[in-house]
Amino acid sequence: MKSCVRDWKNIKNYLVEFQTVVKKTIFNRRTWIEISIIICLSIFLGIVTNLGLIKRYLAGEFKSAFISQESFPGLVFISLPEAEELWSNRQAIFIDSRSASEYSRGHIPGAISIPLEEVQRGNEEILKILEPPEALVIYCEAGDCQTSLNLAKILYQRGYKNLKIYSGGWAEWIASGNPVEK
Amino acid sequence: MKKLIGNKYFLLLLRLIIGGIFIWAAVTKIADPLSFAQDVRNYRLTGQLVSFLTALFLPWIELLGGLFLIIGIFPRASALLLSGLLTFFIMLVAITIIRGINVECGCFGTISRRTDFWLILEDAVWLVMSLILLFSPGNDFCLFKCGPRS
Repeated sequence: MKSCVRDWKNIKNYLVEFQTVVKKTIFNRRTWIEISIIICLSIFLGIVTNLGLIKRYLAGEFKSAFISQESFPGLVFISLPEAEELWSNRQAIFIDSRSASEYSRGHIPGAISIPLEEVQRGNEEILKILEPPEALVIYCEAGDCQTSLNLAKILYQRGYKNLKIYSGGWAEWIASGNPVEK
Repeated sequence: MKKLIGNKYFLLLLRLIIGGIFIWAAVTKIADPLSFAQDVRNYRLTGQLVSFLTALFLPWIELLGGLFLIIGIFPRASALLLSGLLTFFIMLVAITIIRGINVECGCFGTISRRTDFWLILEDAVWLVMSLILLFSPGNDFCLFKCGPRS
Protein backbone atom coordinates (compact mmCIF):
# COMPACT_ATOMS: atom_id res chain seq x y z
CA MET A 1 0.00 0.00 0.00
CA LYS A 2 2.82 2.34 1.03
CA SER A 3 4.75 1.62 -2.20
CA CYS A 4 1.57 2.31 -4.19
CA VAL A 5 1.21 5.73 -2.61
CA ARG A 6 4.94 6.40 -3.19
CA ASP A 7 4.63 5.38 -6.89
CA TRP A 8 1.59 7.59 -7.33
CA LYS A 9 3.46 10.53 -5.77
CA ASN A 10 6.41 9.88 -8.12
CA ILE A 11 4.13 9.82 -11.17
CA LYS A 12 2.45 13.00 -9.96
CA ASN A 13 5.84 14.67 -9.51
CA TYR A 14 6.93 13.62 -13.00
CA LEU A 15 3.69 14.96 -14.47
CA VAL A 16 4.09 18.29 -12.71
CA GLU A 17 7.72 18.47 -13.86
CA PHE A 18 6.73 17.61 -17.44
CA GLN A 19 3.94 20.20 -17.37
CA THR A 20 6.45 22.86 -16.32
CA VAL A 21 8.88 21.89 -19.09
CA VAL A 22 6.06 21.94 -21.69
CA LYS A 23 4.98 25.36 -20.41
CA LYS A 24 8.54 26.62 -20.69
CA THR A 25 9.02 25.32 -24.21
CA ILE A 26 5.84 24.95 -26.25
CA PHE A 27 3.61 27.51 -24.52
CA ASN A 28 6.32 30.10 -24.51
CA ARG A 29 5.87 33.33 -26.46
CA ARG A 30 9.57 33.64 -27.18
CA THR A 31 9.71 30.17 -28.78
CA TRP A 32 6.92 31.12 -31.19
CA ILE A 33 8.56 34.45 -32.04
CA GLU A 34 11.78 32.54 -32.82
CA ILE A 35 9.86 30.04 -34.99
CA SER A 36 8.22 32.95 -36.83
CA ILE A 37 11.67 34.44 -37.48
CA ILE A 38 12.92 31.11 -38.93
CA ILE A 39 9.83 30.79 -41.16
CA CYS A 40 9.97 34.42 -42.39
CA LEU A 41 13.70 34.07 -43.13
CA SER A 42 13.00 30.81 -45.02
CA ILE A 43 10.27 32.45 -47.11
CA PHE A 44 12.61 35.34 -47.91
CA LEU A 45 15.45 32.98 -48.95
CA GLY A 46 13.02 30.78 -50.89
CA ILE A 47 11.81 33.78 -52.90
CA VAL A 48 15.27 35.29 -53.46
CA THR A 49 16.87 32.04 -54.63
CA ASN A 50 13.97 31.04 -56.89
CA LEU A 51 13.00 34.33 -58.55
CA GLY A 52 13.53 32.81 -62.01
CA LEU A 53 11.27 29.82 -61.27
CA ILE A 54 8.58 32.06 -59.74
CA LYS A 55 8.55 34.19 -62.92
CA ARG A 56 8.25 31.06 -65.06
CA TYR A 57 5.43 29.73 -62.86
CA LEU A 58 3.53 33.03 -63.12
CA ALA A 59 4.00 32.88 -66.91
CA GLY A 60 2.15 29.54 -66.82
CA GLU A 61 5.05 27.19 -67.51
CA PHE A 62 4.34 24.56 -64.83
CA LYS A 63 0.56 24.32 -65.09
CA SER A 64 0.58 20.62 -66.11
CA ALA A 65 3.71 19.32 -64.41
CA PHE A 66 6.96 20.43 -62.87
CA ILE A 67 9.12 19.64 -65.84
CA SER A 68 11.80 21.98 -67.00
CA GLN A 69 11.97 22.33 -70.78
CA GLU A 70 15.76 22.57 -70.47
CA SER A 71 15.93 19.12 -68.84
CA PHE A 72 13.30 17.48 -71.06
CA PRO A 73 13.21 19.37 -74.37
CA GLY A 74 10.55 18.01 -76.69
CA LEU A 75 8.43 16.43 -73.97
CA VAL A 76 4.98 17.92 -74.52
CA PHE A 77 1.50 17.68 -73.04
CA ILE A 78 -1.35 17.15 -75.45
CA SER A 79 -5.11 17.63 -75.15
CA LEU A 80 -7.96 15.29 -76.15
CA PRO A 81 -8.35 16.58 -79.76
CA GLU A 82 -4.61 16.17 -80.35
CA ALA A 83 -4.67 12.66 -78.87
CA GLU A 84 -7.70 11.74 -81.00
CA GLU A 85 -5.98 13.03 -84.15
CA LEU A 86 -2.75 11.14 -83.46
CA TRP A 87 -4.74 7.99 -82.66
CA SER A 88 -7.06 8.11 -85.71
CA ASN A 89 -4.17 8.91 -88.12
CA ARG A 90 -1.98 6.24 -86.46
CA GLN A 91 0.80 8.77 -86.07
CA ALA A 92 1.84 7.59 -82.62
CA ILE A 93 1.95 4.54 -80.42
CA PHE A 94 -0.21 4.87 -77.34
CA ILE A 95 1.20 3.66 -74.04
CA ASP A 96 -0.95 2.86 -71.02
CA SER A 97 1.12 3.51 -67.87
CA ARG A 98 -1.54 2.19 -65.48
CA SER A 99 -1.36 -1.19 -63.76
CA ALA A 100 -1.89 -4.38 -65.80
CA SER A 101 -5.26 -5.01 -64.09
CA GLU A 102 -6.52 -1.51 -64.96
CA TYR A 103 -5.34 -2.02 -68.56
CA SER A 104 -7.20 -5.31 -68.83
CA ARG A 105 -10.44 -3.66 -67.67
CA GLY A 106 -10.27 -1.32 -70.67
CA HIS A 107 -7.84 0.84 -72.63
CA ILE A 108 -7.43 3.00 -75.74
CA PRO A 109 -7.57 0.63 -78.75
CA GLY A 110 -4.09 -0.40 -79.84
CA ALA A 111 -2.42 0.95 -76.71
CA ILE A 112 0.51 -1.01 -75.28
CA SER A 113 0.56 -1.71 -71.56
CA ILE A 114 3.75 -0.53 -69.85
CA PRO A 115 2.87 -0.24 -66.16
CA LEU A 116 5.10 2.27 -64.41
CA GLU A 117 5.33 0.01 -61.35
CA GLU A 118 6.83 -2.78 -63.51
CA VAL A 119 9.48 -0.47 -64.96
CA GLN A 120 10.32 0.87 -61.51
CA ARG A 121 10.69 -2.72 -60.30
CA GLY A 122 13.39 -3.15 -62.93
CA ASN A 123 11.43 -5.09 -65.55
CA GLU A 124 13.26 -3.77 -68.64
CA GLU A 125 11.86 -6.48 -70.93
CA ILE A 126 8.58 -4.62 -71.49
CA LEU A 127 10.46 -1.62 -72.94
CA LYS A 128 12.09 -3.70 -75.70
CA ILE A 129 8.99 -3.59 -77.91
CA LEU A 130 9.42 0.15 -78.35
CA GLU A 131 11.57 1.72 -81.03
CA PRO A 132 13.13 5.05 -79.98
CA PRO A 133 12.28 7.05 -83.18
CA GLU A 134 8.55 6.32 -82.84
CA ALA A 135 6.24 8.99 -81.45
CA LEU A 136 4.82 7.82 -78.15
CA VAL A 137 1.71 9.10 -76.40
CA ILE A 138 1.61 8.14 -72.74
CA TYR A 139 -1.52 8.29 -70.65
CA CYS A 140 -2.72 7.18 -67.20
CA GLU A 141 -6.07 7.17 -65.40
CA ALA A 142 -7.07 10.82 -65.19
CA GLY A 143 -5.88 14.39 -65.05
CA ASP A 144 -4.12 14.32 -61.72
CA CYS A 145 -2.47 10.90 -62.06
CA GLN A 146 1.29 11.10 -62.18
CA THR A 147 2.28 7.70 -63.58
CA SER A 148 2.31 8.91 -67.21
CA LEU A 149 4.63 11.76 -66.31
CA ASN A 150 6.96 9.54 -64.29
CA LEU A 151 7.05 6.91 -67.05
CA ALA A 152 7.75 9.66 -69.61
CA LYS A 153 10.71 10.84 -67.55
CA ILE A 154 12.12 7.30 -67.38
CA LEU A 155 11.64 6.71 -71.12
CA TYR A 156 13.18 10.08 -71.92
CA GLN A 157 16.29 9.21 -69.93
CA ARG A 158 16.50 5.90 -71.85
CA GLY A 159 16.64 7.71 -75.19
CA TYR A 160 12.97 8.01 -76.23
CA LYS A 161 12.84 11.69 -77.12
CA ASN A 162 9.60 11.84 -79.13
CA LEU A 163 7.22 11.75 -76.17
CA LYS A 164 3.81 13.24 -75.59
CA ILE A 165 1.74 13.04 -72.44
CA TYR A 166 -2.02 12.89 -72.86
CA SER A 167 -2.93 14.57 -69.58
CA GLY A 168 -6.72 14.00 -69.85
CA GLY A 169 -6.02 10.28 -69.60
CA TRP A 170 -8.28 7.28 -69.75
CA ALA A 171 -11.14 8.97 -67.84
CA GLU A 172 -11.42 11.78 -70.39
CA TRP A 173 -11.06 9.37 -73.32
CA ILE A 174 -14.07 7.23 -72.31
CA ALA A 175 -16.10 10.24 -71.11
CA SER A 176 -15.95 11.70 -74.61
CA GLY A 177 -17.33 8.53 -76.15
CA ASN A 178 -14.18 7.37 -77.91
CA PRO A 179 -13.72 3.68 -78.79
CA VAL A 180 -12.34 1.36 -76.14
CA GLU A 181 -10.70 -2.04 -76.20
CA LYS A 182 -10.80 -4.75 -73.54
CA MET B 1 17.94 7.58 -18.43
CA LYS B 2 17.30 10.96 -16.82
CA LYS B 3 21.07 11.40 -16.50
CA LEU B 4 21.62 10.50 -20.15
CA ILE B 5 19.07 12.97 -21.55
CA GLY B 6 20.58 15.67 -19.36
CA ASN B 7 24.12 14.89 -20.56
CA LYS B 8 25.46 17.79 -22.66
CA TYR B 9 27.61 15.56 -24.88
CA PHE B 10 24.71 13.23 -25.59
CA LEU B 11 22.51 16.21 -26.45
CA LEU B 12 25.25 17.63 -28.68
CA LEU B 13 25.39 14.29 -30.52
CA LEU B 14 21.60 14.35 -30.99
CA ARG B 15 21.77 17.90 -32.31
CA LEU B 16 24.46 16.95 -34.80
CA ILE B 17 22.42 13.93 -35.99
CA ILE B 18 19.04 15.71 -36.31
CA GLY B 19 20.50 18.97 -37.61
CA GLY B 20 22.73 17.09 -40.06
CA ILE B 21 19.86 15.02 -41.44
CA PHE B 22 17.71 18.09 -42.01
CA ILE B 23 20.57 20.05 -43.61
CA TRP B 24 21.33 17.14 -45.96
CA ALA B 25 17.63 16.73 -46.84
CA ALA B 26 17.27 20.46 -47.46
CA VAL B 27 20.34 20.81 -49.68
CA THR B 28 19.19 18.00 -52.01
CA LYS B 29 15.81 19.71 -52.38
CA ILE B 30 17.17 23.24 -52.81
CA ALA B 31 19.41 21.93 -55.59
CA ASP B 32 16.39 20.75 -57.62
CA PRO B 33 13.18 22.54 -56.55
CA LEU B 34 11.17 21.40 -59.59
CA SER B 35 11.85 17.76 -58.87
CA PHE B 36 10.81 18.25 -55.24
CA ALA B 37 7.66 20.12 -56.33
CA GLN B 38 6.74 17.10 -58.47
CA ASP B 39 7.40 14.78 -55.50
CA VAL B 40 5.01 16.87 -53.38
CA ARG B 41 2.44 16.83 -56.21
CA ASN B 42 2.74 13.04 -56.48
CA TYR B 43 1.19 12.67 -53.00
CA ARG B 44 -2.04 13.95 -54.63
CA LEU B 45 -2.95 16.05 -51.61
CA THR B 46 -2.06 19.46 -53.01
CA GLY B 47 -2.54 21.26 -56.30
CA GLN B 48 0.17 22.76 -58.51
CA LEU B 49 0.40 26.08 -56.63
CA VAL B 50 0.67 24.63 -53.11
CA SER B 51 3.17 21.99 -54.33
CA PHE B 52 5.23 24.75 -55.94
CA LEU B 53 5.19 26.98 -52.84
CA THR B 54 6.06 24.01 -50.60
CA ALA B 55 9.06 23.24 -52.81
CA LEU B 56 10.24 26.84 -52.58
CA PHE B 57 9.95 27.32 -48.82
CA LEU B 58 10.00 23.96 -47.00
CA PRO B 59 13.65 23.12 -47.84
CA TRP B 60 14.78 26.48 -46.45
CA ILE B 61 12.79 25.90 -43.23
CA GLU B 62 14.53 22.51 -42.92
CA LEU B 63 17.94 24.03 -43.66
CA LEU B 64 17.64 26.91 -41.19
CA GLY B 65 16.04 24.66 -38.54
CA GLY B 66 18.87 22.12 -38.83
CA LEU B 67 21.60 24.74 -39.00
CA PHE B 68 20.26 26.75 -36.06
CA LEU B 69 19.89 23.58 -33.98
CA ILE B 70 23.56 22.69 -34.51
CA ILE B 71 25.11 26.12 -34.07
CA GLY B 72 22.85 27.09 -31.19
CA ILE B 73 20.66 29.88 -32.52
CA PHE B 74 17.10 29.44 -31.17
CA PRO B 75 17.86 25.78 -30.21
CA ARG B 76 14.50 25.07 -28.59
CA ALA B 77 12.47 26.79 -31.29
CA SER B 78 14.42 24.83 -33.90
CA ALA B 79 13.82 21.57 -32.03
CA LEU B 80 10.08 22.37 -31.81
CA LEU B 81 9.93 23.27 -35.50
CA LEU B 82 11.74 20.10 -36.58
CA SER B 83 9.57 17.98 -34.25
CA GLY B 84 6.48 19.51 -35.86
CA LEU B 85 7.82 18.76 -39.33
CA LEU B 86 8.62 15.15 -38.40
CA THR B 87 5.13 14.67 -36.92
CA PHE B 88 3.67 16.04 -40.15
CA PHE B 89 5.87 13.74 -42.29
CA ILE B 90 4.81 10.67 -40.26
CA MET B 91 1.13 11.56 -40.69
CA LEU B 92 1.63 12.24 -44.41
CA VAL B 93 3.34 8.89 -45.04
CA ALA B 94 0.68 7.04 -42.99
CA ILE B 95 -2.15 8.70 -44.96
CA THR B 96 -0.37 7.89 -48.24
CA ILE B 97 0.00 4.22 -47.28
CA ILE B 98 -3.67 4.04 -46.20
CA ARG B 99 -4.74 5.60 -49.51
CA GLY B 100 -2.73 2.94 -51.35
CA ILE B 101 -0.58 5.44 -53.23
CA ASN B 102 2.90 4.18 -54.04
CA VAL B 103 5.15 7.24 -54.35
CA GLU B 104 8.71 8.27 -53.68
CA CYS B 105 8.89 10.11 -50.36
CA GLY B 106 10.88 13.05 -51.74
CA CYS B 107 12.77 13.17 -48.45
CA PHE B 108 16.27 13.42 -49.92
CA GLY B 109 15.75 14.74 -53.45
CA THR B 110 16.71 12.30 -56.20
CA ILE B 111 17.96 9.63 -53.77
CA SER B 112 14.59 9.29 -52.06
CA ARG B 113 12.92 5.98 -51.29
CA ARG B 114 9.35 4.68 -51.43
CA THR B 115 6.82 5.61 -48.75
CA ASP B 116 6.46 2.54 -46.55
CA PHE B 117 6.15 1.46 -42.93
CA TRP B 118 9.94 1.59 -42.43
CA LEU B 119 9.95 5.25 -43.37
CA ILE B 120 7.41 5.92 -40.60
CA LEU B 121 9.62 4.03 -38.16
CA GLU B 122 12.70 5.96 -39.26
CA ASP B 123 10.91 9.30 -38.88
CA ALA B 124 9.62 8.19 -35.46
CA VAL B 125 13.22 7.60 -34.31
CA TRP B 126 14.22 11.10 -35.48
CA LEU B 127 11.11 12.49 -33.75
CA VAL B 128 12.04 10.90 -30.42
CA MET B 129 15.54 12.40 -30.68
CA SER B 130 14.09 15.78 -31.58
CA LEU B 131 11.64 15.66 -28.65
CA ILE B 132 14.48 14.85 -26.26
CA LEU B 133 16.22 17.99 -27.49
CA LEU B 134 13.02 19.98 -27.11
CA PHE B 135 12.24 18.98 -23.55
CA SER B 136 15.67 18.37 -22.08
CA PRO B 137 16.70 21.11 -19.66
CA GLY B 138 20.31 20.43 -20.67
CA ASN B 139 19.74 21.63 -24.23
CA ASP B 140 20.65 25.19 -23.37
CA PHE B 141 23.65 25.73 -25.60
CA CYS B 142 23.26 29.04 -27.41
CA LEU B 143 25.68 30.72 -29.79
CA PHE B 144 24.57 34.01 -28.33
CA LYS B 145 23.52 34.50 -24.71
CA CYS B 146 20.09 32.92 -24.18
CA GLY B 147 17.59 35.05 -22.36
CA PRO B 148 15.85 33.69 -19.27
CA ARG B 149 12.82 31.50 -19.99
CA SER B 150 9.64 32.76 -18.43
